Amino acid sequence: MSETLNEALGEPPGKVRDESLCKGCHRSAGANLPEREVQRLLSLYLATHPEERLVDEPTYAARLATCRACPDLQFGGTTCRHCGCLVAVRAKLADKTCPAHQPRWPV
Amino acid sequence: MNRVVINADLGQQKISRHLYGHFAEHLGRCIYEGLWVGPNSDIPNTRGFRNDVVAALKKLNIPNLRWPGGCFADTYHWTDGIGPYEKRPSIVNIHWGGCTENNHCGTHEFLDLCEQLETMPYIAGNVGSGTVKEMAEWLEYITMPADSPMANLRRANGRQDPWPLTFWGVGNENWGCGGNMRPQYYADLYRQYASYCRQFTPGQKLYKVACGFLDEWNDVLMREAANYMDGLSVHYYTVIGPWDKKGSATDFTVDEWKLTMQRAQSVDNFLRRTSGIMDRYDPTGRVGIVLDEWGTWFDVEPGTNPGFLYQQNTMRDALVAGLSFNVFHRHAKRLHVANIAQTVNVLQAMILTEGSKMVLTPTYHVFEMYKVHQDATLLDTHVESPEYVAAVKPTPNPAQAGVPMSWDATQQISASASRDAAGKMHLSMCNLHHEDAAEVSVEIRGGAAGKVSGRILTAGATNAMNTFEKPDAVKPTTFDAFKLSKTGLTVSLPARSVAVLEIR
Repeated sequence: MSETLNEALGEPPGKVRDESLCKGCHRSAGANLPEREVQRLLSLYLATHPEERLVDEPTYAARLATCRACPDLQFGGTTCRHCGCLVAVRAKLADKTCPAHQPRWPV
Repeated sequence: MNRVVINADLGQQKISRHLYGHFAEHLGRCIYEGLWVGPNSDIPNTRGFRNDVVAALKKLNIPNLRWPGGCFADTYHWTDGIGPYEKRPSIVNIHWGGCTENNHCGTHEFLDLCEQLETMPYIAGNVGSGTVKEMAEWLEYITMPADSPMANLRRANGRQDPWPLTFWGVGNENWGCGGNMRPQYYADLYRQYASYCRQFTPGQKLYKVACGFLDEWNDVLMREAANYMDGLSVHYYTVIGPWDKKGSATDFTVDEWKLTMQRAQSVDNFLRRTSGIMDRYDPTGRVGIVLDEWGTWFDVEPGTNPGFLYQQNTMRDALVAGLSFNVFHRHAKRLHVANIAQTVNVLQAMILTEGSKMVLTPTYHVFEMYKVHQDATLLDTHVESPEYVAAVKPTPNPAQAGVPMSWDATQQISASASRDAAGKMHLSMCNLHHEDAAEVSVEIRGGAAGKVSGRILTAGATNAMNTFEKPDAVKPTTFDAFKLSKTGLTVSLPARSVAVLEIR
């Protein structure tokens, strides 16, 4: 063959390449995110989307309270089953609504 | 100067409709919420599957649907997903986020979905954590028409007759998540498992798919097991960065646009290499390449759960789809099956959902426009067009998605032509350029253009997309920017466009 696996990877013959070849499922983030990671992603989102209109704190708190009581909140209380969004992020965004078929957020 | 020459009298090879297959894995919101909401959902459904999504997918004439994975397949134990819901144990999806699933969408439900979609099931069995007995009994359960333990269990669970079944995968990515095996070991395992993979319904053939990978692995598999397989599964993703920084699906530079096209074009190189290896052991081409995962892979949408692989879809994805199909057609002799990853809400999806809302992506529209090529006769097509490549070199990265990085040059114009059973010729063309329109001289030899009509998918921006707020921002429109000539026609393609012409 014109190119061996090791050559393709720029490695000496005989060296076994393992996980870097895999498409990364084993390194995919767990869906059950710790709170610290959720907060990091929220901060990242806000920093990279300065154009987003945000709700005020009382509205944010009310939305999150609704989410926490919602049976469709999944994965350690981080994610909405209807949209896959981290509720800590989505609830912050003024232009977003509750994605459920029967919306539950107060505003 | 852009020139396309179609030799309309040089066509023998059929473009299998199975190149337009799909892939629906238990990952993120593809199965659960995207396709399956359950029979008690407020969202209108038929036996648990969303009516809106099924209706939209039916318009694509999906020829086969791969399930349950992917990586998930080698953790899936099918008996967990049959019988009354309340008795089904839940499962932890260890490869995709550690989500716990209730197993409500199991064998009966998936095969019901296939019947609703009028598509053929392609099931990937569990080699990595399963047993020969488990796989053999799953096949008996699905396909046995006579009196047998598994057939009777199926009947007890409400299904009298077997389901039609052709495509069967013996594991998935067993070089990686499917067991981290060595090729020699998997080749022997494949031979063992395949020996007990039976289609029990008289007159039906089982198309057995072995797990392939890269050159060395494929060489071993073909040498040791070609006689026992019908297809060799390989995967090819369009990824333009390292796994931890694949880039945004919607916010990208011109060079990232170009690199995406180059990476998509390079599937041609990959298919040629794989075909070359297979030719050594199967010179007649009996064993097919089964490209049962392909498509773009970008970073997840900001603010969404990173374990769900949910990405938006723009005109860039549409061009990748059109370009890829044009390449696939040229490999139609060896390439038997291809499956886009994935159908709903994951990677290069056809459909995005949010609650009861649904959006058709630009990729969906390309699949719908290109369906005219399904089972049509490939016509020899030659393209001359300026090179279209990125000014920057891609970030060095040893491998992506298990495939050595290759960045083949693309031409600005990509094209493919076929003739359908009714005698109509279809020419699909992509103008990959991010900002320049293109005049294309289409020369038809061995035929003539009498009546021509067309449709086009294009938009004002490279990252144009459909959103839940603006679901129809990108959709096909009638296309008539062409003039007939003595030798064929001249076509004016806008920048970043996918067009399909019907020529009579």
